Amino acid sequence: MNIRALSNKSAFVLAAALVLAGTTAFAAPKRLATAKPDNCVACHGKEQVLPAGHPKTARMTFANCLECHPKDGPASLSGKLPLSHKHHLSGANCVQCHGKSKKKEPVAAEVCHTCHEPEQLARKTSGIKPQNPHTSKHYGTSLDCNNCHHQHEKSEDFCIQCHSFNFKLP
Amino acid sequence: MSEEVNRENQEKEVSRRGFIKATGVAAAVAGLAMSGLAGTVRRAEAAGDAMPKKWDESYDVIVVGTGFAGLAAAIEAKHGGANVLVLEKMRTHGGNSIINGGDFAVAGNRFQKPAGIQDSPELMVKDMMKAGGDLNHPALAKIVAEKSLETMEWCESFVGAKFARLNFHGGHSVKRSVQTENASGSGLVNPLLAKAKSMGVKFAFATKMERLITNKEGRVVGVEVKKGYKFPNEDSGKPAYIKASRAVVLGTGGFSQNVELRQIQDPRLDKRFDSTNHAGATGEALLAACLAGAMDVQMDWIQCGPWTSPDEKGFGYVPQFCERIVGYAPMVDPTTGRRFIKETGNRKVRADAIMQLNHPVLIFGDSVNVARQVLTEILDKGIENGSIRKFDTVEEIARHYNIPVAPLLEEVAKWNSYVEKKKDPDFDCMIFPNATPTVKPPFYAARLWPRVHHTMGGLVINENAQVKGFNLKILKGLYAAGEVTGGVHGAVRLGSVAMADCVVFGRIAGRNAAKEKPWA
Repeated sequence: MNIRALSNKSAFVLAAALVLAGTTAFAAPKRLATAKPDNCVACHGKEQVLPAGHPKTARMTFANCLECHPKDGPASLSGKLPLSHKHHLSGANCVQCHGKSKKKEPVAAEVCHTCHEPEQLARKTSGIKPQNPHTSKHYGTSLDCNNCHHQHEKSEDFCIQCHSFNFKLP
Repeated sequence: MSEEVNRENQEKEVSRRGFIKATGVAAAVAGLAMSGLAGTVRRAEAAGDAMPKKWDESYDVIVVGTGFAGLAAAIEAKHGGANVLVLEKMRTHGGNSIINGGDFAVAGNRFQKPAGIQDSPELMVKDMMKAGGDLNHPALAKIVAEKSLETMEWCESFVGAKFARLNFHGGHSVKRSVQTENASGSGLVNPLLAKAKSMGVKFAFATKMERLITNKEGRVVGVEVKKGYKFPNEDSGKPAYIKASRAVVLGTGGFSQNVELRQIQDPRLDKRFDSTNHAGATGEALLAACLAGAMDVQMDWIQCGPWTSPDEKGFGYVPQFCERIVGYAPMVDPTTGRRFIKETGNRKVRADAIMQLNHPVLIFGDSVNVARQVLTEILDKGIENGSIRKFDTVEEIARHYNIPVAPLLEEVAKWNSYVEKKKDPDFDCMIFPNATPTVKPPFYAARLWPRVHHTMGGLVINENAQVKGFNLKILKGLYAAGEVTGGVHGAVRLGSVAMADCVVFGRIAGRNAAKEKPWA
């Protein structure tokens, strides 16, 4: 964007906005593709993201987190830790899904499929009642993962629009 | 690019989301920025109504929507030699088509003969016109009925769908609805999608058509879209311009989920009524077509399904329970214990009667009729989610739903005598030849409360699926098929005629779109 090409009115508003941006508390953490997964401070800075008294997470992987936070127990991290963190802590960092470009675009389902093959996934969750979340009469196994599993926001249950399956999402 | 054009583009960039993206400023600040830029926005939008300076992509035919109509159109357009792009605003394909019950009305199909059923396109048209209150455009209704058989056969032999059984829908003179093997619209949508992909049709998901672009003569020449659109966030997505050198086909469905729009048309349909539709059935494409000059018709005829249960969400299992036992089982008003309407009447007759009572009603069948009529899977799942309940006696039903016992028992006895005589003197309900009295336990019951289901009205089309404008002339370059159009069903759509309408007219639209002479 060429600042000089802006009309006076637009330039003024732009300047005002930048001033406001400086003074507004901007809470969202950075997303540093180069940060090591166990280095919370790199993205979160001074923000306290872990509860007081939580053991130091240096050199921990997601498998280590699960030692105290088993998936089906009361301390489960389901819905508490963003999926992007679970991926990063498991060795799948930003670049692996988004590629090396500076501007990270939303990821196509085919990328997810390289590790999470749909038919295999449907077999893995076939025991879930009352409905297997990874296959359905409507979409088979073709439903885009992102309909439910968001990486940088809380995940949601796509089926809940019409059904009451009460899925527990990771 | 000239300095003036450059500045105009920069202002357009600044006045829209480009401003937010360029500075990386949070949404809260954008509100302030927007109000200050109001004047600039107006000017930029006026500039945008003209043809874009540059097209980002170009195709012969652009189809909007991935339901029955859109996919059928895409296949036929590709077949006709066009380079086809299909746009879908949601992240997933199929719209309402993929979640429907898979019933397709076909006049004179192969399942009818062994059942001794006589049928014809003329009879189907008669049924459609009667239900439609003669508001149907006769030529359109005729085309759907006359082409229903060849279209079903195309679905099977060319597309690879499988139809497995014959069902009845209220308002038809005979059983004529063939159902997909898996009892779901996905049984046709998924083969259509696979076929289209194998033929080389291109797909763009999460891409919302915002605006139809017309040239100086008013011909539709392309579309403005939002790429990376995240329904329902209208601030998401980046604009792009896609040229359609031959035509645009709209297969974008109805607007049952757009409470504001549907209430404008029919003020009764407030938030009391849920919808059976997928969340994206909001009708923006229909409105975009009107903004480009297309005429709409019969928009206030909005169908509420009388067969949904307030005890489950969405469409649910109860419709495939209720609709299989009308004409085999009584439906009563729980406050009186009496029947109140013709159970085999059309959707409007029944929905209006229930809405008049202003509370849910009850349908219940005995084990013999239910076992014969209802798919085991449907019954089991309905019982599992609590929307269908099992009882040992009719008295138990009365107790559970607070129905006056004596009147209910009396009503059931009357119903049983009508079943013996195969004639209902009270409400003229059709009693099927193989219906038996409601006597053998266990009994299965479900509550019913209407849900907004289908918008009969929409864009005016002719027999070639060409859209007509408010100037009473063809809106060149624009075709439409399925629920986005109006006139096929008139006041009331008969069950299972939507699938017929969508695929018949989808094919016609696609075929004719490919035949259009390119404008450039």
